[in-house]
Amino acid sequence: MRVVGTVLAATLVALVVLPMVALVLGAAPADWVAALRHPMLRPALGLSVVSTGVSLAVIVIGGTPLAWWIARSPGVAARATELLVDLPVVLPPAVVGVALLQAFGRRGLLGPALDGIGVHLPFSPAAVVLAQVVVASPFFVQAAVSAFRGVDADGMIVARTLGASPGRAFLTVALPLALPGLAAGAALAGARAFGEFGATLVFAGNLTGRTQSMPLAIYTALESDIGLAVVLSLLQASVGVALLILLRMSSVRRP
Amino acid sequence: MLLALLALLFGCQAQSGRTPLTVFAAASLGDALRAVELAHEAAHPDVDVRLTLGGSQVLRLQIEQGAPADVFASANAAHLDALQRGGHSTAGAPFAVNRLALIVPVDNPAELTALHDLPLAARLVVGTASTPVGDYTERLLTNADAAWGGGFGAQVRQRIVSREGNVRMVRAKVALGEADAGIVYATDVAGSDPVLGVPIPDGLNVRAAYHVAPITGRAQRAQADRFIAHLQSESGQALLRRAGFSAVP
Repeated sequence: MRVVGTVLAATLVALVVLPMVALVLGAAPADWVAALRHPMLRPALGLSVVSTGVSLAVIVIGGTPLAWWIARSPGVAARATELLVDLPVVLPPAVVGVALLQAFGRRGLLGPALDGIGVHLPFSPAAVVLAQVVVASPFFVQAAVSAFRGVDADGMIVARTLGASPGRAFLTVALPLALPGLAAGAALAGARAFGEFGATLVFAGNLTGRTQSMPLAIYTALESDIGLAVVLSLLQASVGVALLILLRMSSVRRP
Repeated sequence: MLLALLALLFGCQAQSGRTPLTVFAAASLGDALRAVELAHEAAHPDVDVRLTLGGSQVLRLQIEQGAPADVFASANAAHLDALQRGGHSTAGAPFAVNRLALIVPVDNPAELTALHDLPLAARLVVGTASTPVGDYTERLLTNADAAWGGGFGAQVRQRIVSREGNVRMVRAKVALGEADAGIVYATDVAGSDPVLGVPIPDGLNVRAAYHVAPITGRAQRAQADRFIAHLQSESGQALLRRAGFSAVP
């Protein structure tokens, strides 16, 4: 029985790890030189880094108070909101992209209103950010809610009886205690935003220097040059690995 | 349980009892080849034609990586030539000709009435450089530059907001109204999506020759040859004409 379990577990590990190993082995030195000089790389990497940074800021700034409310409020509204913000996790990114077009596209729900004030979201860098925010925010909010739920209510009550305002109690007691969980959620959301592909392709389109993030550059490179696609994939993967390490470090709680 | 699921997954492929014939075809051939598929299966009840549609460059890549295609119909000669050089297919034969068309959404927000108006479009969508349609689009702009001068091509390229991976995605972005205009094939204008065609002067337009070849090293080679022969026969050519393609001169 134990042997069977070991074999099954090892098979799963091999299935997950083998493609990554193949990716590393697949990049020839000549491919690296050509890829690092390729005119598609710099704009794509730049756009991915900047858009992920902006998305993450939006997610953390909006997601922290949202998660606090969800964690503290016993009401039905909070439970319903908790469920709704999780929705993008179970939707394929292509569905999110179509839904974004239906909401913010020229003929979408808010399209005419946005058009009236001169805002055209599809095919813009803002569309890249919007797609990332929608698909990545659940990962931060989920982590933040469980981090806030782990904050001892007594600590907050003590802070309040000592005369601290609710805001001050939140900042000095709840936030520091929840910080490792918040950081882990932010790393996960950042990784998801950095890797966003389907919703971006549908909603933001594909143009070098404007909406072509790293995953879209990899997809486009694959159509003409596999060597380039492999190197771009490795660059993308190394950022993911870095975020994973950050995630592990931040989830190790201090004693 | 796991084994049962796997059996189900792999079992799907061999249920019909008919010989499956996998045809990889350029996205723009979709409607025409679905008609040819029905005609071919009616004529050869032992064959089950399976169409896979996509950008020709993506299909070529998949074949190079060992995808189980028996026939490849590309929207240009170049992708088949590359497969032949790599030993993946025999030489491609032309079987249909297409032209480019400019399309706009039904409400035509940029009020385009001729190719010459294209710089008026604030948002233009075309194919990526590696798609046949993107390559033909570049040739069209070169022709227009030669005829009109004045940096027409450069102005138009500045209006491009997205480069899509196949021609049907270009059409979808225009049909949704997100783009003011797109450049597709003439055969894509009369689809189900609400788009209007704007004529491109014959003197500037580009001739897109579609090529087809059997993939080498496949067991269904005889069936593949028969399918290609059907495509080139009067029956196949009539179906292609009905979809808007013209014959190879």
